[in-house]
Amino acid sequence: MTEIAKRKLINSGALCLACFAAAIGLFWLIFILSDVLRHGIAYINPSLFCKTAAPPGMDGGGLKHAFVGQLLITFFALLIGIPLGILGGTYLAEYGRYQRIGRLISTISDIMISVPSIVIGTFVYAIFVKPIGHFSGFAGSVALAIIMIPVVLRTTEDMISLVPWEIREAAFALGAPYYKVILQVVYRGAATGIFTGILLAIARIAGETAPLLFTSFNNMFFTTNMNEPMPSLTVTIYQYAMGPYDDWHEMAWAASFSITLFILTLTILGRLMIRWKYKN
Amino acid sequence: MSDTIMTIKNLNFYYQGDIRAVNNMSLEIRRNQVTALIGPSGCGKTTFLRCFNRMHDLYPGHRYEGEILFDGSNLLKRKDITELRSRIGMVFQKPTPFPMSIFDNVAYGLRLKGIKNRAELADRVEQALRQAALWDEAKDRLKQSANSLSGGQQQRLVIARALAADPDVLLFDEPTSALDPISTSKIEELMVKLRQEISLIIVTHNMQQAARISDRTAFMYMGELIEIDDTNTIFTNPKQKLTEEYITGRFG
Amino acid sequence: MAGIIKREQTLDKFFYGLTFSAAFLVLAVIGSIFISLFRESLPAIETFGFYRFVSSTAWDPVREIFGAATTLYGTLVTTFLALIMAIPIALGIAIFITELCPKFLKPVFGTAIELLAAIPSIIYGMWGLFTFAPLMGEYVEPFLQQIFSPIPVIGKLFSGLPLGIDILTTSIILSIMIIPFIASIVRDTFALTPVQLKESAYGIGATRWEVIKDVVIPYSKTGIFGSVIIAMGRALGETMAVAFVLGNKHAIATSLFSASATITVTLANEFTEADSDLYLSSLFYLALILLTMNFLVLAIAKTFLTRKGKVWC
Repeated sequence: MTEIAKRKLINSGALCLACFAAAIGLFWLIFILSDVLRHGIAYINPSLFCKTAAPPGMDGGGLKHAFVGQLLITFFALLIGIPLGILGGTYLAEYGRYQRIGRLISTISDIMISVPSIVIGTFVYAIFVKPIGHFSGFAGSVALAIIMIPVVLRTTEDMISLVPWEIREAAFALGAPYYKVILQVVYRGAATGIFTGILLAIARIAGETAPLLFTSFNNMFFTTNMNEPMPSLTVTIYQYAMGPYDDWHEMAWAASFSITLFILTLTILGRLMIRWKYKN
Repeated sequence: MSDTIMTIKNLNFYYQGDIRAVNNMSLEIRRNQVTALIGPSGCGKTTFLRCFNRMHDLYPGHRYEGEILFDGSNLLKRKDITELRSRIGMVFQKPTPFPMSIFDNVAYGLRLKGIKNRAELADRVEQALRQAALWDEAKDRLKQSANSLSGGQQQRLVIARALAADPDVLLFDEPTSALDPISTSKIEELMVKLRQEISLIIVTHNMQQAARISDRTAFMYMGELIEIDDTNTIFTNPKQKLTEEYITGRFG
Repeated sequence: MAGIIKREQTLDKFFYGLTFSAAFLVLAVIGSIFISLFRESLPAIETFGFYRFVSSTAWDPVREIFGAATTLYGTLVTTFLALIMAIPIALGIAIFITELCPKFLKPVFGTAIELLAAIPSIIYGMWGLFTFAPLMGEYVEPFLQQIFSPIPVIGKLFSGLPLGIDILTTSIILSIMIIPFIASIVRDTFALTPVQLKESAYGIGATRWEVIKDVVIPYSKTGIFGSVIIAMGRALGETMAVAFVLGNKHAIATSLFSASATITVTLANEFTEADSDLYLSSLFYLALILLTMNFLVLAIAKTFLTRKGKVWC
């Protein structure tokens, strides 16, 4: 074979492999999602949202307690995480953009985004559960907030940095003090980006299980008291999936389907918003 | 003969690290006139301009020496920059509309001053837009985002925004270099018209523009004032050799 | 007017203080995590020391003798295997998207990667436990065992009862989870290759693949390496997906088909069951080791990457 023909053959071969790799990636995605869809749709029914857990071994339970618990824990996590994340990101992008401490905090935040969430769970256990003496929904919210803050902080920092410097100068030239420049002009320019960052952070914590395992723990009963162990959808899925009962497995699938639907919708929404914003 | 609105006496300006950018400049700015600052890139004209509204205060390490007398006192020593900046406004090279509606953009400086009355705001916004020759094009879309305007319209919006605060002086830093020729000529027309109400100082690298619209022209080189005179004189019969060389395109 | 100035200045200072405190909180939290974990592990550290703990394969809650070797082994082996499987596929995907993909399909694949990354760990676990592991146990693993066990050295890797709940299944699922991280960073890095560089190579007559191999990939070396390290950090800390399909066996596994344990899974399963102080302290000790490994790995990755705008890295 001539040299050229050999090279062309290698070229085609390599490119085919690349296509094959992409196909494999797509294959896994479709495989997993369709599986979740298949099992989830089969077992979703209204009683899931209306009834709370039945005693183990008995049929006819629901997941109302888990859904409500998950909502409560997430709500409080957002309450803590969103303001702190936005304010912190504002510091990094405005006052701390060229300071050493600003760059340090930015780098550490990046690293914290990938810290194992179960380690965060052990930390919150040590400072929040052990001293108090019992698990609580609040502890779960704190754990989720710790996970979410670096995410919101970094996106806020990135989005605010995109607002052109000249706009700030123009506001200063009109005589505005710095905090007004930030609140009235910069935030408005970065609003869509910050909002998208929050959506993606919510998608991130909505699926977290490990940090809840020893903070909010779990609860078979319906409760809205954040000061006691609180059921969550994710931990319930884990418990039910590993358990021996078939109807537990079914409910775990239904819950998995709900969570996946929620997270994927948020993710797609967030990405669409980013694309739409950049088109303008 | 117009009287003087600002007197600059022995102005020196140092950047961080004691780097002198403005070297002992003394001149007068006349009321209700357009004063142009020309010179090659890096000669310090923008640095000089930004002394008037204390823009350098935003950045660390700056040092002013000398005086800029405005309204009876040295504005370089003033404590309250907010009030100063509402009387000396600035228009930048790139149009900088805020991410708000057209109305809110123009009203921004007014709201900063504490004016809340809706009727008064609406009145003054309309007045400013008329002054900036943007009213006809904007009056039906006041609530729309400022970003929906074209580049030239945005620059006129920025001028309206600065005018709304009722300034005595407007500083322009190469205001048309980012615009197309038609928008440029509209803005030049506007500037000539505004002379009747305020005093204008414009930094421009475009000599023809300076010759078209200004009453007096100052030529700067390496941070120093080489020559300042009536525009006509500068461009036809300059007194300094350096000025003549710049005008005829020998350098810069 | 003077009153307004004073108030504005105070508000300015207040806002600065507020935002700085929020930002500083990040440092405070990470510092607290290290301090807190260290404090909780102190009993275990004092009892077992460092080298003895890390090299001991004991894990006896009854006699209260604990060692990290088994879980460390499981963590490192699954991570390593996941990386070997993920890197080629992720590189292939990145090459496909940047060089081969038709314009209208690019957003499809881009979104696909993001979706893969967004699927939570527990969903991977569910799918792994109920669908994938049974498939592995019933078809794939016996098949592999048939082929490979006759071969002398490699055969040992495929010995034991293939149940599907083992290192191989776990590593495959882990690799699927980290593919999107590598693929998206590498794709971004590939896109940064200057067009003129590629065009000069084409101009000399290089084939598509040769341009990728000799221009794009070398140019993106640091980005590729950094993405791999980040993926490694991710895999080290993965909990739920692994918890479903690894079993929880504290032993040094010698076969791909044996169950094992990772630090994360041990924490997940045993933390709330720990009935003695030393037991809990040893678990904290494991968590501290994991955190330190993970932190170091990510810090190294940061020196290779200056990435912009990625949220979930």
